[in-house]
Amino acid sequence: MNGALIWLLVALGLAVVVVRRRSVAVGLVTAQALVLAVSAAQDTAAGAAVLAVRAVALGTLLLLVVSRTREPRPVRAGIAPIARAGLAVGFALALTWLIPAIGLESRNAERGVLALIAFGITAAATRRATLFQVMGIVLCENGLALAALQLPGGSSTALEIGVALDLTLVALVAVVFHERIFAEFGAGDTAALRSLRE
Amino acid sequence: MSSRELLALLVVAAPALAAAATVVAPRRVVHVVATVGALASAAAAGALATVALASPGSPLVERWLVVDAAAGLLVAVIGVVGLTAVLVSPAYLAASPHGIVRAERRPRTFYGLVFCFWAILTAIPLVGNLGGAWLLVEATTAASALLVGFGGKPRALEAAWKYLILTTLGLGVALLGIVVLAAGSPYGGLDALSWRALEHVHAGHALIAYLLLLAGLASKIGWAPVHNWLPDAHSEAPAPVSAMLSAALLPTVMLVAWRSSQALTPVIGDSAARSVLVGFGLVSLAVAVPFLWQAMPWKRLLAYSSLEHMGVIALGIGFGTPLALAGVAVHIVGHALAKALGFYAATPLLGHEPRAAGHAARGIGRTDGRLASVLGVSLGALAGLPPSPLFASEVLIVAGGFAAGRPWSAAIAAALLSLGFLGLAHALLETIAGKAHVRDRAAPPGRRGVVILASIAVPCLLSLTVAAVWLPGSAIARALVRGIG
Repeated sequence: MNGALIWLLVALGLAVVVVRRRSVAVGLVTAQALVLAVSAAQDTAAGAAVLAVRAVALGTLLLLVVSRTREPRPVRAGIAPIARAGLAVGFALALTWLIPAIGLESRNAERGVLALIAFGITAAATRRATLFQVMGIVLCENGLALAALQLPGGSSTALEIGVALDLTLVALVAVVFHERIFAEFGAGDTAALRSLRE
Repeated sequence: MSSRELLALLVVAAPALAAAATVVAPRRVVHVVATVGALASAAAAGALATVALASPGSPLVERWLVVDAAAGLLVAVIGVVGLTAVLVSPAYLAASPHGIVRAERRPRTFYGLVFCFWAILTAIPLVGNLGGAWLLVEATTAASALLVGFGGKPRALEAAWKYLILTTLGLGVALLGIVVLAAGSPYGGLDALSWRALEHVHAGHALIAYLLLLAGLASKIGWAPVHNWLPDAHSEAPAPVSAMLSAALLPTVMLVAWRSSQALTPVIGDSAARSVLVGFGLVSLAVAVPFLWQAMPWKRLLAYSSLEHMGVIALGIGFGTPLALAGVAVHIVGHALAKALGFYAATPLLGHEPRAAGHAARGIGRTDGRLASVLGVSLGALAGLPPSPLFASEVLIVAGGFAAGRPWSAAIAAALLSLGFLGLAHALLETIAGKAHVRDRAAPPGRRGVVILASIAVPCLLSLTVAAVWLPGSAIARALVRGIG
């Protein structure tokens, strides 16, 4: 995979951290997964098919949920977009500095993987909206899919199918809870869930 | 197909079939179907455990399947906890009529999810591949998160949400570790991740992969400092589910960490592999102990006790001597029995004293002696009050630490365990003999069941204490030290 594609994936990931609207973020993570699927098609048709099906299934599911749980106004993140972007980039740089070479085909790919994981964790940690936290997980998984595609000997299709199934299952369960939280509090906002602080 | 392979298939298939049977069963017989399914699943687990533990020196290790002493131990624990969880579930379902599904669907959905969770959980100790183990661990998250939030109350929803998000993110980090291992392996595809292939991973990649893997798994095991979901999920889940999470899920995921440590030790070195586990163990103990000194609701107290006990088990695995690993085996079984009993007792406790949902239970012995005796057995055993098997196992683990040449770690662990004991002993006294509120003296729902379970658990716990004396020199302890190598 060339450097430009990796930068495109990273840019899409950073955009998920800063955008306000859930539907835009869903579009971004879906686009990211489709870019991965297209780039995988050169090496493994089965792997590309798994990524494409996962991207379309998750994108459809998340957009459906967005339309079923319309918020009167976007849930505020509590941290400004520029600060979130700064945190995400700082975390990504720290990971790249801390973690030595991990054996992927290029150091660029390794940096891209670590950046996407850092962005995913930052999105889940700094966004209050439940669906943004789910998209943080999807971002991480997209980073891991990039890592699998950049393995020197190629990855196992069986494992890729398993990971895709697990992620879809977790997303389905998250959607069930998102709808329950929305029904209970009138918003998919984790700030409403503050009863369990020690 | 050999008898062990057949048993391994049966032990996973039985709860999976029971899940399907409970989902399609007519409403009036769903409890009966669940009980029959649980008995069959537990019988299969018992048979496999007997076979695995009877000949610990000759484990079955294949590309996809491992049947060894550790797997036998965990399968037995999952079987016992699964069976008892199903047996006490009618009382929970009767006492808590509301939830995330409609009333008429509650029992079927609940049992279906419990058996799905059980089947996936049982497969984890038996899988012969790290990649397969990761997939199964991740799959437990989906089933168990639905069970954690099953009550449908806001606090249960929050606990389930935290559990889902934090453990999934953690397992993502673990998956990165697995990808790094695959990158450094001379083999391709899934074969790169079979337990025996891991010792051939490139040394330059192995340590960072091991650290990522353990850091990720720690979030699921509930090791500090990534344990934030644990107290909430264990205290807000239905009591039978709390028992399965604490007594079965946590040690089962810990087995994946244990196997990874043993498989990677030839590459990263004994000291590095063990130090990480000892570190997690000491931090978990240090974080748990202050909470054990606080007055808190019964299930929350048990949840923090889980954090302490997962720390103890991590220490034992980290020390890695026959003494310590014999202690680990006793600790896993003793903790499962005592903790499951404690969580099951929560249903009658809340019926007897509804304030116990949000406050520390006090003076139960003054108003309900039978219930107090069950709470006392559970908390006394968990505290490590002699003759609890957990006292014996903690002594073995600390002694194993000294034998492993880690006197400072063992001494710190002994000090923290003593402090934890004092905290839980104080909670035990307050729960049994503290100042009592005015309460309804009628028998609360589910009390009879937990009293029967306690009367079975007490001789089992005492037998385990006796076994702790014999275990260190046994073939089982030697097999645990050797692992699957």
